[in-house]
Amino acid sequence: MEKVQQVKNDGLMAIEKCENLEQLNQVRIDYLSKKGHVQGLMALMKDLSKEEKPAFGQEVNDCKQALTKALDAKMEVLQKDALKAKLEKEKIDITVAGYKPNIGTVHPLMMIQQELEDLFVGMGYSVAEGPEMELDLYNFERANLPKDHPARDMQDTFYITPNTLLRTHTTAIQMRVLEQAKGQLPIKLICPGKVYRRDDDDATHSHQFMQMEGLVVGENITLTDLKGTLRFFAKKMFGEDREIRFRPSYFPFTEPSVEVDVSCHMCGGKGCNVCKQTGWIEILGAGMVHPNVLEMSGFDSSKCSGFAFGIGLERVAMLKYGIDDIRNFYTNDVRFLKNFDRFD
Amino acid sequence: MKISYNWLKQYINLDDVTPYELADKLTTAGVEIEACEPYVLGTNLVIAKVEECYDHPDSDHLHVTKVNDGTNVYQVVCGAPNVKAGIKVILAKDGAKLPGGTIKRSMVRGVESNGMICALFELGVDKKYLTDEQINGIEILGDDAVVGEDPIKYLGLDDVVLDASLTPNRADLLSMWALAKEVGAILRKEVHLPECLDSTNIGTPSTFHLDTQTNKCPYFLGKVVNKVVVKPSPKWMQDQLHAAGIKAINNVVDISNYVMLETGQPLHFYNLAKLANKDIVVKDNIEMSLTALDGISYDVHKDDIVITTNGEPTGLAGIMGGDDSKIDETTTSIFIEAAHFNDVAIRNTSRRLGLATEAATRFIKGIEPMAAKKAVDRCVQLLTELADADGFETNVEAGTNNYEPVVVKETLEHCNQLLGTNYTSKQVEAVLNALDFKVINNNDEFTCHIPSYRTDIKIAPDIDEEVIRLLGYDDLKETLPLMSATVGALNPRQKLRRMIKDVLVGMGLNEIVTYTLTKADYMEDTIMPFGDYVQVMSPLSEDRRYMRSSLMASVLNCLAYNQNRQSVNNNLIEISAVTTQEKVQERLAICLSGHLQQDRLHQVDVKSDFYTLKGIIYDILERYGFNESRIMLKENTIDTIHFHPYRSACIYVGKDLLGIFGDVHPSYASKMDVTNCVYAELLLDVILANKVSKVRFVPLDKYPSVSRDIALVVKEDVQVQKIVETIKRSGNQLVRNVEVFDIYQGEHVEKGYKSVALNIIYQANDHTLKDEEINNCHQNILDNLQNKLDANLRG
Repeated sequence: MEKVQQVKNDGLMAIEKCENLEQLNQVRIDYLSKKGHVQGLMALMKDLSKEEKPAFGQEVNDCKQALTKALDAKMEVLQKDALKAKLEKEKIDITVAGYKPNIGTVHPLMMIQQELEDLFVGMGYSVAEGPEMELDLYNFERANLPKDHPARDMQDTFYITPNTLLRTHTTAIQMRVLEQAKGQLPIKLICPGKVYRRDDDDATHSHQFMQMEGLVVGENITLTDLKGTLRFFAKKMFGEDREIRFRPSYFPFTEPSVEVDVSCHMCGGKGCNVCKQTGWIEILGAGMVHPNVLEMSGFDSSKCSGFAFGIGLERVAMLKYGIDDIRNFYTNDVRFLKNFDRFD
Repeated sequence: MKISYNWLKQYINLDDVTPYELADKLTTAGVEIEACEPYVLGTNLVIAKVEECYDHPDSDHLHVTKVNDGTNVYQVVCGAPNVKAGIKVILAKDGAKLPGGTIKRSMVRGVESNGMICALFELGVDKKYLTDEQINGIEILGDDAVVGEDPIKYLGLDDVVLDASLTPNRADLLSMWALAKEVGAILRKEVHLPECLDSTNIGTPSTFHLDTQTNKCPYFLGKVVNKVVVKPSPKWMQDQLHAAGIKAINNVVDISNYVMLETGQPLHFYNLAKLANKDIVVKDNIEMSLTALDGISYDVHKDDIVITTNGEPTGLAGIMGGDDSKIDETTTSIFIEAAHFNDVAIRNTSRRLGLATEAATRFIKGIEPMAAKKAVDRCVQLLTELADADGFETNVEAGTNNYEPVVVKETLEHCNQLLGTNYTSKQVEAVLNALDFKVINNNDEFTCHIPSYRTDIKIAPDIDEEVIRLLGYDDLKETLPLMSATVGALNPRQKLRRMIKDVLVGMGLNEIVTYTLTKADYMEDTIMPFGDYVQVMSPLSEDRRYMRSSLMASVLNCLAYNQNRQSVNNNLIEISAVTTQEKVQERLAICLSGHLQQDRLHQVDVKSDFYTLKGIIYDILERYGFNESRIMLKENTIDTIHFHPYRSACIYVGKDLLGIFGDVHPSYASKMDVTNCVYAELLLDVILANKVSKVRFVPLDKYPSVSRDIALVVKEDVQVQKIVETIKRSGNQLVRNVEVFDIYQGEHVEKGYKSVALNIIYQANDHTLKDEEINNCHQNILDNLQNKLDANLRG
């Protein structure tokens, strides 16, 4: 019996002393293999009486279990230590720059266009498009700008033939859509696109620029609907707190016509250089669709009304991002483009 | 349009409105005032008397004066030749701010000077309004000037000028009378305009013969005045003309200008004695040259409207009178012209000759129908008062002014409905009355009798605009349209553009937007031409004459710009319409140069080369929904001018040519000043015209796959695609995937041959493959490669 106790104690001691998995494995072989010390105890069995054998057997079994348990526990500890040591060896310098794939940029004008498209599509508008080489009919006549109308001077035109031109505003798209609608209500669309006017290029003028106009025609559309709709635009482009204000103006295709000011996003309306101390920034033109426009396109102006607005995308981008020269949009210096690395 | 505040004060009591408040109110009501500035700029000015004046001891032209402003005596050095003791002058005291700067006490050649004695131009009066005497010397004030008082007020120059930017519909506001009505309506104040007698029958029956032989002059009203006395006009009139930007000349000429400013009707006064005959006929279709009253000779074209007398041209109608019959000091009798000339004809002539006179401007913007009559009436009154006019003859007339009174009806309900407002009948009526619309209110239906000068008011919404602009936009509510729901969505084309941009921007490309208009040189470089070029009739420059019909030149131009600024990696896309006379196409341009991705530390190196471009294009097309098998490449034989003939390809979707891509031809690259770039131009319309395959789930493989690598040696002209196809075709349905992972030429490979390394994945979807099965299949593949492509396993 003492012998069993001796083997057990020696075994536990040996396990305790192990410093690595190899040593532990040797201990396992020394004690628990077929030729190990525990098995060796069984050889003593033959010298015992029949009565003593079961108790001895039990004793040896307990010894075997105790050693196995201790071995497993030690194994777990040593494995953990080994893993820890391995991981420590694998340490890297996390301050080294990661591989950052180069991500490109959407052109700032297109960013503004996309944001506005998403805003208005969300409100149930469709997005209409049309040709840049346009008929005088859609660009001017249908927009209540008959030949020799003095307001044609407001937008000096690139003519291609006496009857075709580079569209001077995206109003031309509206006139096409109105015609196609054949008097069917409602009309609810925005029309983004490039437009052209005979202006010499400088910091604030460009012979090519981008517009996005909106048109809603239905029963009982009111001027207050226009104001409410444009408030969404102002918030989206210039921030939640923006307010809008109307001032009387003139466009041949709307009556009444208004200039729309947005409260200054730089100073919040207190007055600063951007808003020339007025607290307001002139952003766009709008109005109620002129009855002549509706009638010419086949709508009964006594049964419907509508509003229209026109946004200059360059102007919005210049104000929003603080760009000081319109030519930047068309020069496409990649250093310029890389400023616009996210929608905001 | 320059508006004199003092002038307005004649008609309206403005005591409680400063010019600056007035400017704000006008702007708010739609008459935008761009600037509001005192006519004369100067502070710290006083009327003073020169008590002593002697020559400066150290100068041959300076004077030293002692000047008394009633409180103090100042020593002032003055260089004007006309300064002398005893005169009253304008003294700018120490600290006075003048347009030229601030006056400071100083030493002038050793003599102290406390201020400056001023000439009028030094206060900001335009020299064009001054005599030589006034320009060369100081202003000498009259004996009635009171020492110590404000010289600006004494001179009647205490005016403020409001500069209005008028919208095209409000040409009526070029008339001070109509403007006064507008101001009266905005301020809700009474307006008192001069009352004139009807001049029609004043005078003896006229024998003057008047005729118009062109429809470009629908109306001509004239009057003979047989006696006038030419002399300077009164100072108030000169001051007001100057404030409005018109130079005073003499009473008769000044009256013609003054009445034009009052009524908006351009007038011309002829020296009656210089008219060859008592006869004027308006004509067009004449070609000759004519000396106008500015002394310059102008070519008259067929379309110009010409005034003729006795068959001879005497003036450019509506623009400038002739030199022969102009008013001068010797004039004793005149003929008054108040006519309507066609705006387009005047605009064309005025533009061609570069003569944007006050008269031309008004004709171009439109004259109200009754202006001629009002102007002649007023001329008769002022000529009588200020030019001792007499010997009038009755009015003569040709044509008709076509005036028909305009009546517009609007209801309160419709007005409020359109505006979204809750105005009361009383509010609306008050506005319409303030505008002098002579309203009759019948159960909230307003019948408006529009004054002749408000040619912009024609329909009910015009009335609504008047109502809201005068009641103010500030209280307008914000609502959203109440209407049946509409589905907002992008169409397939718009979605395609978004998808392409999302993918390419995610890969590192930058979107650009370039100009549509381009030059002839670039038009010749159109790739995939599709029609005749479009050119604009009058381009701003030769560089912007044509509408582009391909994007390549613009995009390479942009690349050149960036490469010239040391930008190495330039990966650009543009999506744009391109146009010919027949058709519009939408194209996608992709231009890669340098690296698309590069990170030396982490060994990432994606070159901007043919294969990167090809991969990008395939990615877009597959993402759009074209199976790889529907995309075909052919060697580019259609454009080897812009593309490298052996490093470019034509790409097809099914049978349709989608575009060309590849290395830019070195000669063309050098012409465009770019280096090291690949370019693709694709037709979006072709993508949209082809149907896409549906997204479908393919069951996941249940059985394991087996991977085998092989290295083959083939002749160098064998296309890799052929090898891949041969493997797939010989694979007996067991080849799941073939990947080329190396192509090698050089050492250990015989010249004229290349080594191609491939990985083949074998898999079946209904059982686990046995070795024997795979070996048979693999051997079959190797045999076929050898038989068909003379490809051998690399030893």
